[in-house]
Amino acid sequence: MHELLLFASVPAHQHHELLQQLAGLTAMQPRHRLERRLVFKASRKPGLVTTRVGASQDLQGADMQRLNKMLNGGMYFTQVVGAVTEADLGATSSATDVDVSMSGTDGPSYCYENQSWKLEFRDIPEAGTRSAVTTRLMASASLPKGDIAVPMNAWGYSFVTEYMVEGDVFVQNDIVIFLHRVLLYPPAGPQEAHGPRRSLPAYHELTPLERTGSYVLQAAITVQDGGNQEMMKTASQHLFGLREQLKSAVRLEQADRLSLDTRAK
Amino acid sequence: MSDSFTLPLRPLLEKRERPDTLPQEIAQINAQWGSFRDVTEESLRAKIEEEKNRDPWAEEDEIDKATADVDTAERMDQLYKRRAEITQFAMQAHMEALFALDFVSLLLSKHTPRQAELSMSAYLKQVAPLGSLNAEIVNPPPKSDAALQDIKTVSRGWRLQNFNAAANKLLKSATRLETEVAAETKYWNEVLAVKDKGWKVCRLPRDRQALGVQYGFLEATPIFRDRGLAALRRADDGSLLLDKGLIPQRARTVRVRIRTQGQYTGCSKVSWSLPSADSIESRILQARDTVYEEELFHEMVRESRIMGSQGVTTRQNLVQVPVSDEQEVLLDLVDVDQSEPTDTETHSNEHDTLADAVAHSVRILLAYAHRQNLWRRTQPPPPLSQKRRHTPEYQLLRPVMAYLQHTAHVRSLESFMNDLRKVMKAAGLRCDFTSAPFSSVRLPQTRSSMPKVETLVKQFLMPFESMFTGNLITPESSFCVKVRTNTVSSSSGTYYEISVNLPHHREVQPPSRIGLQTEAAAAIIHFAMLDIVTAISHKGTKSPKEGADAGKGVLRWEVAYAHHGELRALSSSGNNKKMKVRLSREELTIQTFPLRGLDGSRGVDEDKRSANLRSQSWTLDSSVPRPSVMEFVEEVSQDRP
Repeated sequence: MHELLLFASVPAHQHHELLQQLAGLTAMQPRHRLERRLVFKASRKPGLVTTRVGASQDLQGADMQRLNKMLNGGMYFTQVVGAVTEADLGATSSATDVDVSMSGTDGPSYCYENQSWKLEFRDIPEAGTRSAVTTRLMASASLPKGDIAVPMNAWGYSFVTEYMVEGDVFVQNDIVIFLHRVLLYPPAGPQEAHGPRRSLPAYHELTPLERTGSYVLQAAITVQDGGNQEMMKTASQHLFGLREQLKSAVRLEQADRLSLDTRAK
Repeated sequence: MSDSFTLPLRPLLEKRERPDTLPQEIAQINAQWGSFRDVTEESLRAKIEEEKNRDPWAEEDEIDKATADVDTAERMDQLYKRRAEITQFAMQAHMEALFALDFVSLLLSKHTPRQAELSMSAYLKQVAPLGSLNAEIVNPPPKSDAALQDIKTVSRGWRLQNFNAAANKLLKSATRLETEVAAETKYWNEVLAVKDKGWKVCRLPRDRQALGVQYGFLEATPIFRDRGLAALRRADDGSLLLDKGLIPQRARTVRVRIRTQGQYTGCSKVSWSLPSADSIESRILQARDTVYEEELFHEMVRESRIMGSQGVTTRQNLVQVPVSDEQEVLLDLVDVDQSEPTDTETHSNEHDTLADAVAHSVRILLAYAHRQNLWRRTQPPPPLSQKRRHTPEYQLLRPVMAYLQHTAHVRSLESFMNDLRKVMKAAGLRCDFTSAPFSSVRLPQTRSSMPKVETLVKQFLMPFESMFTGNLITPESSFCVKVRTNTVSSSSGTYYEISVNLPHHREVQPPSRIGLQTEAAAAIIHFAMLDIVTAISHKGTKSPKEGADAGKGVLRWEVAYAHHGELRALSSSGNNKKMKVRLSREELTIQTFPLRGLDGSRGVDEDKRSANLRSQSWTLDSSVPRPSVMEFVEEVSQDRP
């Protein structure tokens, strides 16, 4: 699948107004989203890759070639996204301890063991496209619930860091408009640096990555078959249409390609 | 504002200090009218009247009249001639303009040769060299005082005239503006009134200058969604006009009629009272209702196309939905004012409530479909691909049809069971059943996150299920009938699930799904019959236990062919007997006759057999008290021929 994107920066004072405008444009109420995002880095275990080299031209089928490519190709950062609710923020962690969950009736609790996750892979945006939109290869997959660090480690990913994204989603026909900003966790103790947090800090403890509190407006459209030029063209036409409609409010534009680089060096 | 601010527009005319001198006037009159003797008051008045009555366009009218007389060919000729004239004039004007251009260019070519050359014609360039013409300012000769005075007077007159004309124009436009302002005020007040009522007023997307009011439904099918916007135009007097474009102004609505055995027995209410027929509010409401009704009918026609396999037929403006064998529902789109059926067919109001209920249901279901559309629209869309997303048909007729069919099935099954129970009761057998119609419909719990209305409607889009449970005569045996009706078209229709608990016939189980009602009834009758047979045979086994003497002279009935309802009693004294139990919806019959063939006596003649044949039947509406089944069995159990 491919993803076509346009971005705009929205200063904090314009945020409320833009929410109103988008609600009017898309004729729907904004859907508030709070996501915790974990960043994982793919690592190659040494000595794992043993492919025969040479003398196998006739034997190397398409599948084999693909496998080789996958194994020896570049390494990427991937994100694991889990949706949380506002009640989860700052709530006491109801861990696996039964006693705690039994007695923890005094208020909402956040259960890390029941957190659902989604893996989101994003390639570096395609280079040298004439079009004025950001285009990149993408794939998503749902993951098992609960502690995600263990299966991810088993698949060869190591935990890097995590952050929170807060925003509102609008849908206009095929375009998903996500007006969001990145929130950072308060600095944690050393024990939490090696894996995802089991409890979430309160909302007021989170600090926006951008000090001014400004938001990012992201308009995205996904295309099933990125090789189909016609579909890609239609998708970018849709995005341009949205850009025209929002022209008086924000300026949607292509993102810097290298700032969206997900390759692990 | 206009009161406090006045501006004199007309030029002030200075009164001449002295009017024209008399000799001058006399000279003028002499020049105009000749001798004074001819100028009388009458003649002057007549002259004024004539001036007044003369049509200023009279001359042109005469010309028109003249042209009206000429026939078409001549007119055509004239037309061409005129056109040629016009062209000629234009050409000439063009030529003259070109000459003037050439002249000015030549004149200028002395000072700015390059620029002037550009606008010169080629011919002029050939014949006249550049800069060959010069101009000089010449002082005109001084004019005489009288001429100067004349010019001054004339120009003063002109100015006065122009001032007057300008003042007239200004005053006229002031009055025009005043009426315009009044009209605008009225228009905007009405627009504000519409807005205050809660309608969404916006600019029209295509016609940015005009205001529109949105009364339609955002989640409707695009063609109907776009029709939900009408322009608010201003009439000349400032009143508000609702301009729906090319859409006809008639108010239309969906009418539901019920036809039972070829006769109309019910019709839904078509016209409803609007608050006040001519206010803009009521017109908007009416437009909204009409667009909703038309969408409803459109969607019903769309849905009925996929329901062809279930006997739904469509005409140009009619959808027919069969509900049961003799009843069908007819839906059509009619004008509100021609509401009352003019058909002369016999019409009763028996099923008016049903028709109204159907009419309300389809509308509620359309509103529900709109909500579903909103939900679907706000979900993240699937990736763009070449497959076009198919919008599924709304569930409008299917739930209604399923409900009505289910009700019909449940009712008929219930009446069947009641009949059966009456027969059993008449026979002195206790057989009870309880029915739970629509046991699958549960009112929503409060905890769900969906709006209550939606959960309520959703219940009626699920398959319907009703249950009948009952006990049979023998203890521990019971039966349960589930009637299910699916709403979705893939496996639509009603089927019966019968489960029976017969401890004495464990191997007997009905087929898992029965589609026809007659088959289901037959199955139930069969089980009831089996049960009666079992009960009779049990009675036989029970009685000998009661006492040793009771066993004497009493036959014991054994089941011979249970599924044919046949029992047999073997007697030591040779009075073998056979009993046949027949059960139907109307009656229960038990026959006993001597068993032939066991004793081998062919000599027993038919008369004797028929004499020995004993029969008893219990019918549905038996007023005459009869012995119960068990009494009859006891009686025939006597060991005698």
